[in-house]
Amino acid sequence: MNPTRTLFLIVLLAVAARPAAAQQRDSAEALKRLTLDQLMNVEVMSVSRRPERLFETPSAIQVITQDDIRRSGATSLPEALRLASNLQVAQVDARQWAISARGLNSTTANKLLVLIDGRTVYTPLFSGVFWDVQDVLLTDIDRIEVISGPGATLWGSNAVNGVINVITKDAKDTRGLLVTGGGGTELAGFGSARYGGELGAHTHYRIYGKGFSRDPTLLPNGQAAADAWHMGQGGLRLDWDASAGNRLSLLSDWYDGRIVQASPGHIGVSGGNVVAKWAHPISATSEVTAQAYYDRTHRNIPGTFGEDLDSYDIDVQHRAALGARHHVVWGLGYRLINDRVQNSAGLAFLPPHVARQWFTAFAQDEIALVPERFHVTLGAKIEHNDYTGFEIQPSGRVNWTFSPSRTLWAAISRAVRTPSRIDRELFIPRQPPYFLAGGPNFRSENELAYELGYRHQQGALVLSFATFYSHYHGLRSLEPVPGPDSLEIGNGQDGESYGGEATATYRITDNWQLRAGYTELRIHIWPNPGSADTTRGATESHTPDRQLSLRSSLSLGAQWSLDGGFRYISEIVNQQVPAYTELDARLGWQPLAALELSLAGRNLLHDRHTEFGTPTALRRIERGVYGMAQWHF
Amino acid sequence: MALLRAVSVLASALLFVQSPRASEYQVKAVFLFNFAQFVDWPTVPAQDPRTPLLIGILGDDPFGAFLDETVRGEHLGLRPFEVHRYHELTDIEGCNILFISRSENERVGQILAALHNRTILTVSDGEDFAKRGGMIQFVNDKNRIRLRINLEAAQAANVTISSKLLRVAEIVRTPRR
Repeated sequence: MNPTRTLFLIVLLAVAARPAAAQQRDSAEALKRLTLDQLMNVEVMSVSRRPERLFETPSAIQVITQDDIRRSGATSLPEALRLASNLQVAQVDARQWAISARGLNSTTANKLLVLIDGRTVYTPLFSGVFWDVQDVLLTDIDRIEVISGPGATLWGSNAVNGVINVITKDAKDTRGLLVTGGGGTELAGFGSARYGGELGAHTHYRIYGKGFSRDPTLLPNGQAAADAWHMGQGGLRLDWDASAGNRLSLLSDWYDGRIVQASPGHIGVSGGNVVAKWAHPISATSEVTAQAYYDRTHRNIPGTFGEDLDSYDIDVQHRAALGARHHVVWGLGYRLINDRVQNSAGLAFLPPHVARQWFTAFAQDEIALVPERFHVTLGAKIEHNDYTGFEIQPSGRVNWTFSPSRTLWAAISRAVRTPSRIDRELFIPRQPPYFLAGGPNFRSENELAYELGYRHQQGALVLSFATFYSHYHGLRSLEPVPGPDSLEIGNGQDGESYGGEATATYRITDNWQLRAGYTELRIHIWPNPGSADTTRGATESHTPDRQLSLRSSLSLGAQWSLDGGFRYISEIVNQQVPAYTELDARLGWQPLAALELSLAGRNLLHDRHTEFGTPTALRRIERGVYGMAQWHF
Repeated sequence: MALLRAVSVLASALLFVQSPRASEYQVKAVFLFNFAQFVDWPTVPAQDPRTPLLIGILGDDPFGAFLDETVRGEHLGLRPFEVHRYHELTDIEGCNILFISRSENERVGQILAALHNRTILTVSDGEDFAKRGGMIQFVNDKNRIRLRINLEAAQAANVTISSKLLRVAEIVRTPRR
């Protein structure tokens, strides 16, 4: 489920040598003991650890760094995710987002796996993400790794079309007091405070609190929609560099929010989590990591439904170099969820209270057929879930680095999207006759994906291309059943998707960088023999055919920075959402080392625009401008 | 009035408290020190094996005490390290590694021409230093220090740079006209 991340480990390895220096980083002695490679990894202003081998990774990965997030003026996780051009990110209303990779996007998109510091943020209701309650202190993010394409072998079910991995900074990299505040239009007001310090020489901690209030979006008739909301969140992190290279971390976040809705009463959301991680090096080439977490969420939508979910998850993994050619990672995982739903007359999950378990085991071997040049990676994940029993998700990848500046990679993967409560246990209305009923025999949806990619670096220019073809079998369908207008959920659709993703980064000078991202994507969904589905994927995919993004990052002297991000998103045909262009911009001024002031505008080109939604539920998103001040003591 | 001053002093003290990161020039100082171990200069006949290894700074000194602290008590073989600060080209004598400060950016071409064929490893963090014929340029990339090396410039001056250093650097050439 929430298992291994090779990249994460590569990065862990890359920084594993750092603690010795970090503990006494003010000392020249410590810096002098570093190798050249390590010295080049010392951060000299703020942190952004880029995976060293990103260039050679055999998958379509993009990394959003802390610097990227800060300079974009993003104020939420979904806004930051717009920086990855291999994602489809669409704002639905003031709080809801539809986010996916390689299409099949919807507000209940179910083929993307999202992790925050190793914790899967996932609702078993529909195998997707409630984006309104996924938040972190953006300034504490180290980086966000975004992989488009299947990652199921390492990451687990749901990683059918992509993985988003949000990684926050180690506590020793967030020392001191950081106070941020600001406000404007749309984002009415926000503030946060974080304090980081040390408890003895080897233990660092941070605590934070944040809150914000957002304005409503507009209805098609121009009146304010009922979707204004506010949230508060707080948390802590503790990192202990114990003896002999052991590292222990404890993370926790808690939040509470209220959202206006059209019907009487407010939507209430609250929740929290506790995560414990342990890394134990066995030798220079072998390491065991273990992680356990508890996560709870509460959501009450008066008149519609309520949910209390408790999740418990434990993962152990071992990585080791075997001889000169093999890099093996394997692991085991277990997850238990306890989900209690309060049903309404209009909509019900039956039975209302379920407990579900998942067991997983995976292994992967990266074989250096020609060391540093030609690597083959073979792996498989076996999972057992309560709905469909055993599922196997294998993959094979090759990367050929035929010069230090050119890498060609290819992959074949099988991934599954296992059933969620919505597929089997949803009933509308609560009592028969049902208009819509969960399918008692709903199986997993299957994907077989073929990918081919190329990366090229030519001086200050870095190019990357990824192309893909995926075939889907058993996608969710709505099957007519006897009774007036009665539908039951089935696996009656097949489909295919193909396309390409291209990115280019060009550093014109040390102070000016341009980036472009382009994605072209086609999806066809059709009923398979025996199905009477007539939706042709209209419930499963709302995806633009192409999107283009351009970003410019300019530093003007040591104090000023000017950033702009333009995007073009083509029409979403089956929603009749027209194509749109928009521009975000930010001007930053750092008059003192400890103070930064910024002015940011979002969606500047138009008074209002629409990104996503069925014609009856469209929301218009308005231009927003806000100012922000940030002190670092 | 006194109160106002007290408040402003306090405020500036708070704002300027050192943030807990390695300083840029502390890291660059350690790089300069490390370069001595990855660079070979032509042997000077009959040179005293205890001749100091000289690191020079030309122009405004951005290092403060970092460079002196870094090399204090250090030796390369029998050679102790020494740091010299120069303001004029003509002062440069017996220097092995020369860091050219950004304050000299305007006249880098002139400086490099004057040092032509002297066996000095030239280093700077000025813009396009390597492309302009300097040997090693520090480049800030995502808050990391990267190295850009003009191998031809080093070879022309008979300074041999170890492959270990080249491996972690970006190699550039002087654009030909």
